[in-house]
Amino acid sequence: MAEDSIMVRIKNVSKYYGNLKALDNVSLDVHEGEKLVIIGPSGSGKSTLLRSVNKLEQIDAGSIIVDGYDINDKSTNINKVREEVGMVFQSFNVFPHRTVLDNLILAQRVVRKRKKEEAEKVAMELLKKVGILEKTDVYPSKLSGGQQQRVAIARSLAMQPKLMLFDEPTSALDPEMIGEVLDVMVRLAKEGMTMIVVTHEMGFAREVADRVIFMDEGKILEQGSPEHFFINPEHERTKQFLKQIL
Amino acid sequence: MALKSIKTGDDSGHSVIDIGDGPAIPVKSDRGLFTAWRIAFFGAITCLIYLAVFKPYPYLDILKFIPDGILITFEVTVQSILLSLVIGLIVGLGRISGNRFINGAASLYVEIIRGIPLLVQLFYIYYALANFVNIPDMLSAVIAMSVCYGAYMGEVIRAGIQAIPKGQMEAARSLGMSYSQAMIHVILPQAVKTILPPVGNEFVALLKDSSLVSILAVSDLLRRGREYSSETFMYFETYTVVALVYLVITLFFSKLIGLMEERVNTDG
Repeated sequence: MAEDSIMVRIKNVSKYYGNLKALDNVSLDVHEGEKLVIIGPSGSGKSTLLRSVNKLEQIDAGSIIVDGYDINDKSTNINKVREEVGMVFQSFNVFPHRTVLDNLILAQRVVRKRKKEEAEKVAMELLKKVGILEKTDVYPSKLSGGQQQRVAIARSLAMQPKLMLFDEPTSALDPEMIGEVLDVMVRLAKEGMTMIVVTHEMGFAREVADRVIFMDEGKILEQGSPEHFFINPEHERTKQFLKQIL
Repeated sequence: MALKSIKTGDDSGHSVIDIGDGPAIPVKSDRGLFTAWRIAFFGAITCLIYLAVFKPYPYLDILKFIPDGILITFEVTVQSILLSLVIGLIVGLGRISGNRFINGAASLYVEIIRGIPLLVQLFYIYYALANFVNIPDMLSAVIAMSVCYGAYMGEVIRAGIQAIPKGQMEAARSLGMSYSQAMIHVILPQAVKTILPPVGNEFVALLKDSSLVSILAVSDLLRRGREYSSETFMYFETYTVVALVYLVITLFFSKLIGLMEERVNTDG
């Protein structure tokens, strides 16, 4: 693919927690429109890698270019980069002191400086899209986990990002709510959003991933199409892991 | 003064704001205290009424003499709490700042203030101010109280902010907000809920400590009592009334804060 279609370029990135090597010389390109799924055991560095992409984690070596900006360069305004990068967390992190609608409006107003009417219009469209239109004036504490996560996704989308990061978005959900969140993510994928998703949901990976990456001990151990992982994974470690989660 | 269980330094971030000063806040779950509050509060009021009715001289006389002082006590307390909140917000934000210089300055301030008795601070700031600028006694007293309480308030606000889950800041920053935008729109509005009860508690503590300003030529409740007794030589009677009035006021506010806390808790 052409250079200019690269959305994220991770190059020789390392990160330490004390003596522990969380990321060990990781390199990875993500292209525009690509859906990348990262899998791996806990502590493998997959969340750390994802969180490094919008600088929630500070890397110790290497470089990360997002949308053309070297995010660890001192002259880069990280807030500007983050405007274009949506992030969805395992723990939802919706704002409990604001209604659902206000959750979606806040950053549009504060960061994008949109007018109230415009922000509301964007918010309502997205709430309709994620199926929470009837809960606009409710506070998040009254919502189920699945609904909260859908609000969180809509909140990120309201910024009209170029890239969406998902950090185990369904891991904190009751089984019967996982589907409703994955549905939203599948639809988003089909619309062409560039996505990096850390998840254990292999069904999701199979349906939307262009590429799956298996991480272990801070390294990318294996990558390939979802089929590759389901049919003949190379490494013993990968086989072991897949056996456990499938 | 206050803040017995808030530690400096190595807090894990799960600080419980528990300030053990002033009359314990009477919550319903603590039956014993609840009853004690009633006995103390209504007992004090009954005493005052009894004394005023059956021994109008000197008690009614004293009661008529001190209201000016009560007003001044309130004025000093309310102004000091407001100013100390402003100082506390700056100090609290400074104490969690990643900037080493700001953090160091805020911590140093807290350590120094906590290491000096309030009375000494009051004298010091009062006379230090008088040395350089000419401002009214009342204002000097308020500034002195606020500088002192600002340090404690800073710790309350710091603990309140740190009680908000880290994910809130991360979510706000991920949406492109700057640190201060996230603070203003996301963190502080949530922290208010946690901060409010301890601030109320500080208010009660400050109300009592405000009696110290009577030494600084401010005619508060205690000073009015002193004025009365030095003219009439009825020290026992005067200070009985002063103590009872303080008790009624303090208990009243403790109760109010207790109710406020309950409401905050039931709101979830």
